[in-house]
Amino acid sequence: MIDFIQMVISGIAVGSSYALMALGMVLIYKASEVPNFVQGEMALLPVFIAYMMIYSYGYSVFIAFFGALFFAMILGCFLEFAVVRRAKNPNILGLIIVTIGLEMILLGLVSWKFGADQRIMPFPISSYSSVMIGDLYISTMDLVTLFVALAIMIVLFLFFRFSKFGVAMKATQQNPTAARLMGIRTNRVKMVTWGISATVGTVSGLLLAPVIMEPYMMWNPMLKGFAGAVVGGMTSLPGAVFGAYIVGVVEHLFGGYVSMDFKAVVAFAVIVIVLCVKPSGLFARHYVKKV
Amino acid sequence: MKKTLFAVLFGALVVFGMLSTGYCEIGVTDTEIHIGQWSPQSGPAAAWGAVARGTDAYFKWINANGGIHGRKLVHHYFDDGYNPARTIAGVKQLQEQRGMFAWVGGVGTAPGLAVKEYLMQKKIPWIGPAAGSWHWVTPPQKYLFNVYPLYLGDAQLLVEHAAKKMGKKSIAVVYQEDDYGEQGLAGTKHMLEKYNMELAAAVPVAMGDSDMRPHAMRLSRSNADAVLLFISPVAASRIIGIGKAMNYAPQWMSSSTCGDCPLMIDITQGLYEGVITSSFGMLETGEKVGDLQHINDPKHKLVAEYKKDVYGKFAARDERWGYTFVVGIGLAEPLVEAIKRAGRDLTRERLVEELEKMENFRGVLGRITYGPLDPNNPLTRIGQQELFLHQCTADGGSRILTNWIETEYIPMGH
Amino acid sequence: MTFFAVEDLSMTFGGLKALDKVSFEITRGEIFAVIGPNGAGKTTLFNCINGIYPPTGGDIVFKNNNIRGLKPDRVAKAGIARTFQNIELFSNMNTMENIMIGRHLFMKTGLLRGGLMWGRRSFAGKEEIENRRKVEQIIDLLELQTFRSKFVGGLPYGIQKKIELGRALAAEPELLLLDEPCAGMNAEEKQDVVFWIKDIQDELGITILLIEHDMNMVMDISNRILVLNFGRPIAMGVPDEVSVHPEVLKAYLGEDDADDASGP
Repeated sequence: MIDFIQMVISGIAVGSSYALMALGMVLIYKASEVPNFVQGEMALLPVFIAYMMIYSYGYSVFIAFFGALFFAMILGCFLEFAVVRRAKNPNILGLIIVTIGLEMILLGLVSWKFGADQRIMPFPISSYSSVMIGDLYISTMDLVTLFVALAIMIVLFLFFRFSKFGVAMKATQQNPTAARLMGIRTNRVKMVTWGISATVGTVSGLLLAPVIMEPYMMWNPMLKGFAGAVVGGMTSLPGAVFGAYIVGVVEHLFGGYVSMDFKAVVAFAVIVIVLCVKPSGLFARHYVKKV
Repeated sequence: MKKTLFAVLFGALVVFGMLSTGYCEIGVTDTEIHIGQWSPQSGPAAAWGAVARGTDAYFKWINANGGIHGRKLVHHYFDDGYNPARTIAGVKQLQEQRGMFAWVGGVGTAPGLAVKEYLMQKKIPWIGPAAGSWHWVTPPQKYLFNVYPLYLGDAQLLVEHAAKKMGKKSIAVVYQEDDYGEQGLAGTKHMLEKYNMELAAAVPVAMGDSDMRPHAMRLSRSNADAVLLFISPVAASRIIGIGKAMNYAPQWMSSSTCGDCPLMIDITQGLYEGVITSSFGMLETGEKVGDLQHINDPKHKLVAEYKKDVYGKFAARDERWGYTFVVGIGLAEPLVEAIKRAGRDLTRERLVEELEKMENFRGVLGRITYGPLDPNNPLTRIGQQELFLHQCTADGGSRILTNWIETEYIPMGH
Repeated sequence: MTFFAVEDLSMTFGGLKALDKVSFEITRGEIFAVIGPNGAGKTTLFNCINGIYPPTGGDIVFKNNNIRGLKPDRVAKAGIARTFQNIELFSNMNTMENIMIGRHLFMKTGLLRGGLMWGRRSFAGKEEIENRRKVEQIIDLLELQTFRSKFVGGLPYGIQKKIELGRALAAEPELLLLDEPCAGMNAEEKQDVVFWIKDIQDELGITILLIEHDMNMVMDISNRILVLNFGRPIAMGVPDEVSVHPEVLKAYLGEDDADDASGP
């Protein structure tokens, strides 16, 4: 029993970083209708920028982290403005290829500029300390990640619910044509959505970096976040979060009780099962658009 | 008519041009010897790219000192991103368009396997694949000379040390799901059988998996008091870190792959202190056994020389003087030595002859010995079987625990 | 001063002329209707005015400014709102939220101010209260009270049409474009719509440009009518003039005539 609880706790811990990636992907999917495979690298580059700010320019960790988040915002906006928006008559496949291309470019850029060596991001909390509750443990870093993820979810919820821009984003996602006619600058909304998505992803990256930093660090969280987003229906923010936690917990239970060999791929089995039972994902809301 | 004449003349010129060098061997001219190599300079295995850069700096240093018998070594290395399809494409292109005399190093079992058939069929010497795989010596190939010790040997030394020297009762293995990890697992099982011990746990790590919590948990539940790691440095640092968070502290032990103490201490934020790893290079032992020594210890004359001259003068500015870089030098040493011994009259056959005569050759790695090809005896091509153990210290140095130990070749049907 | 005028407006899709030198002028406060058979270019005309399509030729003047080629959000800002033939609501929001988005142009609160200021007294609070008051007025006007907090996706067609109208009104436009406000409605609902349109004109003083298929309704409420056929204007004037115009009869009732002619 204690093992089971421990596995669920660890699953939720790892699910938090998946959840942040899933949130970022869903935001972009709602705005630009593309599964965004550059999600991980949009976070990777700012994380390395933060590292550079600390080691090459001597900034403090907090300033560097804020710098990275700011840079992520700019980077996300830039990618949408300079690349994604330029796609003429884009179809979904074309856009996917655009994001994969961007992924390769950013990954190449980071590998070229920073090299393949593993590094560690300085962080005020030790990556290896933990809180013990009886026989159960949870690492402090995981706890921080969990709270940060929850905080971001709440902020996003309030933002969408109450801010002018959040409402404009919601409107743009639901009906871009009508939104434009309401005076909403949908292009700008999409651009900023990319920026916000990159920022959310970067938070996840900054929380992974104190454990280990290398150019491929975001690949696994991105794939699992994508899996979580698909499980949650791709269009629902709470769904994405829930899906990501499901993926994390299932991975750990599967690794613990069934097979460690297939732990890393069980997420994709979860996708298949969910899509067979509920093809639109667990939390999808359907807008049937009359033609 | 005129065109035909020109074509004939041109053809003749080309033929005479080639003959005029006086050598019929591909990749060898009056002034140059062309050597090929692949390595991942990008992609998930890019940290291993330093092997080729080490070789490159080594060759440049040799050239700067006058080359070998009046010839310069021309090093052609390309980035295959650890992708076997790119390896075979790149090797064929360089071999067929540029013409390599021999190949050296070459990171990875999978990329190496992709080109092994091709190189062997064309009778092109390949020295020192940068991966310890039994595929290189089972069965032995005339033109393939192994240098990198097999991971079976790492497992032998580590298990022996844990069970006999340290008296550990329960040993677990964490292994990467590929040739490297499986060798580690097989070697460990073999040794445990020998000692009549049970394997406490065998935990596989999928390539690319970045979440090691379940792995660490399974280890801690197994209560193993020694854990052998046959995984990547990143995975090792994660697992040890999570173990620390869980208050699980066995004797961690690792193959030479995670044996770069300064790197490991750095990326584990010091948790690597006390970890015992096998190693096959960079350290002078002998009477110094038991003393605290750093890899940068200038007492090792050859290592010191390489660090000062090869690394200091010919490596890129942001290159790290690390294990991988030095391995790149060490893997190329037997090739360079054999070219020297072959003399001015260099052919592939001469090279193979000289390599086969090599006995207890000593560079920065352990002693290297080959023999005349015997299809039933892998030892004729295995090269180096010596390893030693050391223990990482908090400051990124290491304490040497054993002298060079010759490991045995364990035949494993594969 | 010209309130609203379209001058020689042309729109070509590939080789097809959807609009061919269409000109007309609307004075402030009138109800102006555009009619024509299917494919006459009526909706294209709206899309050009809105900025959804950039016209290939001609000018669109609104309050002495040329608004041709402006982006839709700019056109909305200038004071032109519209409804759609096929409803374009935010189906995953409730009625209140949908109409609230019509107030988007009047919301000044940026992210920072909205986040920093809480409570009714703050700027953001006052603004929100003002906007909600306007929305409530519209809900009352269109009798949408019972649907205030229902998701619009599941509401009946007629109600959705009203919500869309309400959203357009929330933007406080000077010119309102209505694309077939009666499409798919029964006689009773149509009557209601006619009343509202008149109310909008009389009480709110909004000028209306309307596309409609229902001839009776158009004749009933329009001050002036423009008839389009294959993208070309064929007649313009007060309802009585237009309804007896020979070209109009031929084009608009042409099918019936043809049927009659070919009949036994």
